[in-house]
Amino acid sequence: MKEVKDSFKQKVYSILEDACDCNEIKSNPNIRLFDEGLLDSFSTISLIVAFEQELGISVPISDFNRDEWATPAMIITQLAKLQ
Amino acid sequence: MIDILDQIENQAVKTPRRICYTHRQELLTFGLLKKCSDALACWLINRFGDDHSPVIVHGHMQPMMLVLFLACAKSGHAYIPADQSIPSERIRMITEGAKTKLIFSAAPKQLPETNATEVIAFGQLDQIIIQNEGVPARSYEVKNEDTFYIIYTSGSTGRPKGVQISRRALTSFTEWMQHDFGLEEGLTFMNQAPYSFDLSVMDLYPSLTTGGTLWAVDKQMIANPKELFTLLAQSEINIWTSTPSFAEMCLMEPSFSRTMLPHVQKFLFCGETLPLSVASRLKQRFPEAEIINTYGPTETTVAVTKVSITQKMINCKSPFPVGRCKPDCRIYILGEDGVPKKDGQKGEIVICGPSVGSGYLNDPEKTRASFDTLNEMLAYHTHDLGIMCEGMLYYFGRIDHQIKLHGFRMELEEIEHALSSCRYVKYAIVTPIKRGDRYDHLAAVVVAGKHPFDSDYAFSAVLRKALSSVLPSYMIPRKFIYRRSLPMTANGKIDRGAPLKEVSR
Repeated sequence: MKEVKDSFKQKVYSILEDACDCNEIKSNPNIRLFDEGLLDSFSTISLIVAFEQELGISVPISDFNRDEWATPAMIITQLAKLQ
Repeated sequence: MIDILDQIENQAVKTPRRICYTHRQELLTFGLLKKCSDALACWLINRFGDDHSPVIVHGHMQPMMLVLFLACAKSGHAYIPADQSIPSERIRMITEGAKTKLIFSAAPKQLPETNATEVIAFGQLDQIIIQNEGVPARSYEVKNEDTFYIIYTSGSTGRPKGVQISRRALTSFTEWMQHDFGLEEGLTFMNQAPYSFDLSVMDLYPSLTTGGTLWAVDKQMIANPKELFTLLAQSEINIWTSTPSFAEMCLMEPSFSRTMLPHVQKFLFCGETLPLSVASRLKQRFPEAEIINTYGPTETTVAVTKVSITQKMINCKSPFPVGRCKPDCRIYILGEDGVPKKDGQKGEIVICGPSVGSGYLNDPEKTRASFDTLNEMLAYHTHDLGIMCEGMLYYFGRIDHQIKLHGFRMELEEIEHALSSCRYVKYAIVTPIKRGDRYDHLAAVVVAGKHPFDSDYAFSAVLRKALSSVLPSYMIPRKFIYRRSLPMTANGKIDRGAPLKEVSR
């Protein structure tokens, strides 16, 4: 597996903290964002837009499912794959 | 005037094998819809006779829900659609408020424990249908001035309120859709909204009365876009009905275009402001489809104005109008003094005519506050601000603290009430936060008492959990901010404006 750079991780954390409007993402990388009510179908939209604009990674919404993109750590892994 | 029940019956006689409803693998034909709803109506008549108390239909997108809606109408009962996503505590409040004696449920285990109300599981219905075959006497039907359905909506005092829609109002709405929206016979309508949200009525009755097929989107599909788009591509939808938020989510998928949905003729939008960006992207992806914007509160039966969005309107980049009033109704813009405003002046939107519903169930006080008569017509005072320009209505937001978030209507005070009832919370106010020019999510500003949690994060998780037992998930704030105190206004009320400035900076 490709090693994920720390700067990349930090960027994803800050996008997530923005999308969830919650500043405790970094300290809880295994929190289940949808189950905890921090993300829903509608905030997914702004999240995907942010990945595109800030990371240059475009995630087709049809690839986004809540099982594989459940936690900040899993999201980082998924994004790193698409990088 | 059309007779909606007659029109649905006629479809069953003319084309009994035509599919009227499809949800994933489950199908329902017009023939079966009639046969089963007739049998269940006979059972209801036998059971309740002239007791016409409302009946709750609890489920999520099952074809049996439609059967039960019609069975209620044929036996003289108003139905209350309750989606499975509604927390059981809220269903208990609805059951008590509506004094219902019967709940039909797809998921009885999710219901509150109660002795006053009988629960019949959808699984028991086959047996009842077999044992009660027959045709109910039409004298039992819901009459024109009787309530056809009741939709529960957020109430500012912490209890949801039941909006009663009469058969007359529903007929007027359906007739308008049939005549003025260019709907042919036998089209496929998409239904995105749970039945507890009256956007679903925009496709339900127009589809059934014109021999159409309803194609249901469920919660799981929305949570799993991959599945949603795979199924949509097979759907052959002609009429798309959704909130603008749902269309916006779909637009995130590059393949969402006429290649995926080659048969779409019209997009119908209701429930919230239609953003320019959504309309302009839809026009690019579906150049041949018509985009129709509509407006109306639940209290006046789904929608009362419509306008077809043209490329010219998109190009001029100013907010869209919400449309012209349906022919049998009138819209007045009134000032605070109750005097009608001139064309182009802002005031409260007041809707008059047969679309106006019958007020709130068992709540004469709230009914009196918003319903009366004007120029000898029934009138509903919307608390919405608007401007009328040469017959075209423009919407400018609310007078009170009710908001629409992604199409869901809610009273901020109801959320505050629920939050203040949580342990460890002294006071709370809830504020909608905008992204661009639209509401994106809710933030709560909380003054906490002594509590055992070692971080704000842990406290927020507990509050979220507590709220989710009384409120639907779309009413739960995403962000919680903790303060020692809340600013007060000069007359001792909490100042909502001050924290708003702080959190939305």
